[in-house]
Amino acid sequence: MSLIARREVMAKLRDKGFLISSAFIAVVILASALLPALFGGDDSTYDVGVVGDPAGFEEAVAAQADALGAKVDVSAYPGAAAARAALEAEDIDAAVDGDQILVVTSVDGVLQQILDRAYAGVIAAERLSAAGIDPAEVATAFDVPRLDVVSLDSDAQRDQQRQVIAIVGVSVLYGLLILIGQYVAMGVVEEKSSRVVELLLSTIRPWQLLAGKVIGLGLLGLAQLVVIGVVGVGAAISLDVLTVPGDAIGTLAQVIGWFLLGYGFYAATFAAGAALVSRQEDLQTVLLPTIGVLVAAFVVAIQAVQNPDGPLAVVTSFIPGLSPLVMPVRTAAGEVAWWELVASIVLMLLATVALVRLGGRIYAGALLRSGGRVRIKEALAESAS
Amino acid sequence: MLEFDSVSKAYGPKQVLDDLSFNVRPGEMFGFCGANGAGKTTTMRIALGLVRLDRGAVRWQGRDVDLDVRRRFGYMPEERGLYPKMRAVEQLTYFGMLHGMAGRVAARNAEDLLELLGVKQGPRDSLEKLSLGNQQKVQLAAALVHDPEVLILDEPFSGLDPVGVDALTDALLARCRNGVPVIFSSHQLDLVERVCDSVGIINHGRMVAVGSVAELREREGSRQLRIVAPDAAPGWAAGVPGVRVLSEQAGEVLLELDDPTRDQEVLAAAQRTGRVQHFSWRAPTLTELFREAVAV
Repeated sequence: MSLIARREVMAKLRDKGFLISSAFIAVVILASALLPALFGGDDSTYDVGVVGDPAGFEEAVAAQADALGAKVDVSAYPGAAAARAALEAEDIDAAVDGDQILVVTSVDGVLQQILDRAYAGVIAAERLSAAGIDPAEVATAFDVPRLDVVSLDSDAQRDQQRQVIAIVGVSVLYGLLILIGQYVAMGVVEEKSSRVVELLLSTIRPWQLLAGKVIGLGLLGLAQLVVIGVVGVGAAISLDVLTVPGDAIGTLAQVIGWFLLGYGFYAATFAAGAALVSRQEDLQTVLLPTIGVLVAAFVVAIQAVQNPDGPLAVVTSFIPGLSPLVMPVRTAAGEVAWWELVASIVLMLLATVALVRLGGRIYAGALLRSGGRVRIKEALAESAS
Repeated sequence: MLEFDSVSKAYGPKQVLDDLSFNVRPGEMFGFCGANGAGKTTTMRIALGLVRLDRGAVRWQGRDVDLDVRRRFGYMPEERGLYPKMRAVEQLTYFGMLHGMAGRVAARNAEDLLELLGVKQGPRDSLEKLSLGNQQKVQLAAALVHDPEVLILDEPFSGLDPVGVDALTDALLARCRNGVPVIFSSHQLDLVERVCDSVGIINHGRMVAVGSVAELREREGSRQLRIVAPDAAPGWAAGVPGVRVLSEQAGEVLLELDDPTRDQEVLAAAQRTGRVQHFSWRAPTLTELFREAVAV
């Protein structure tokens, strides 16, 4: 069995199509984790020009920017004309000329706030100095910490992040179940259409062949999932897109667990379906019902993100086959009691065991029948006799 | 000894194999003949556990053939098939290992076999890049790679050119002389007659004739009397009692006798027509035996 699993892995690792698609997925995931960080970083860095160089203005801007979590580069221009030219060339986002902010169209709210406060601070300090107050005392007087924001629903942001992670996780799960399921199906048909299966079955039992194939490809899928998860979550954490790494890792672990459960279920179905036909061309027809169930599960799961407590989400999170995609969304939303999770897993396990047995029998019965499409009933009869 | 003991198999109402029995001894080359659909492939598939039998048993060295025993069998299915995208050596190594060999031994056997059978290939060629003849050789190598104790080959010669047939025959004979029982099915009866020690003819799931080639040919009932009497009037032989005329052509007749011991009476009748140039018992060819056997 391990021998068969190893062949499946080696064959796929040597398959250029598989390698390219894997690399592509990794790049897409990495990019989707990186892009918000890149654009987000861009938004909070500003270039500002200042006409003349009013004393203390640059320092005041830097202090205000720091307080608001932004970064402002200030460059001095000798006159208003030079500042306008720089604005039009988009070298700077705004220019401060005396008591005016010059912009091309409009000024970013955060930047305006920074510049307003800095300007107010500089002018106030000048006036106080003129009134004979020590500049050092002025600085101390203006050093007031910002108001703390206390959110009454402190979990809101956290929930939102967990939902996003759940959506991404479930999407990856869905994609991988279909992808690896198709690999299983294509492998079954390849062995059947090339007739190598007859030679194989003279030395091993059908269930060993099935198990080896499913385990081998499943390990590949798991490896892909782990790589995608680690790359995605790792990149997101290191770039500060996520502020709750613990939750992300928890969701990732859950997605991996549901992948294992869902994979057993769907791989058996895909393999049994594929064993019924002898040509790759006929494959899609027999796989369609299974893929339909997966698509339905995915649609329900996405819907459940909006409404994790709704009757649809609650009911489907217990239905084997749908639960692997729906339940992670519900748990990520934090609406699931422990017994619900256990019940869902147990139901899924029971269904998987039943399906693996049934699928295995169909597989064994149909494997040596070539030609047209084998009926499920015939396959079962063949393996029973 | 490989024993097929009263093997029966039905698909629904159709009795495919009916109480089929025969044995193949170590070192014996057994030719398995029969019309299409007679049950040859089903018999072989039963021996390999690919088809379950309804009644009877297949035994090797007195033991019922189960998966453990079967892993020591070599098999070449009628429907040829290997992994198209795998390299020949890797593929053969894999099959060797599936049969329970250590990886290194299997790899060495695989390389030796490909060289022995003269498979021409580039070092990185996948199987689908090889010519059909070479693919067929790799298929045979897949049956041989694990040094099997028993060889069962379904139509191994079909699609081979005469040179390929000779190479395959040599490879099989070499194994056979080392004490491996070899069963193969074929429609090329002249080939079977030439290389096989014994022959079984199957018809509608029943073994209608089985034995060594010499035995079958010597069977009295199937022997024919050939007489050349150039002066005889056409139809002379039909008048002799107890004689069936198989063919008559320009003074040459081919006869079958109800009682072969009365051949001297036939000779006397022939001599009454004039000169007798030729008078002999002739053993039938396997092809003739086959026609006779399956005509029933």
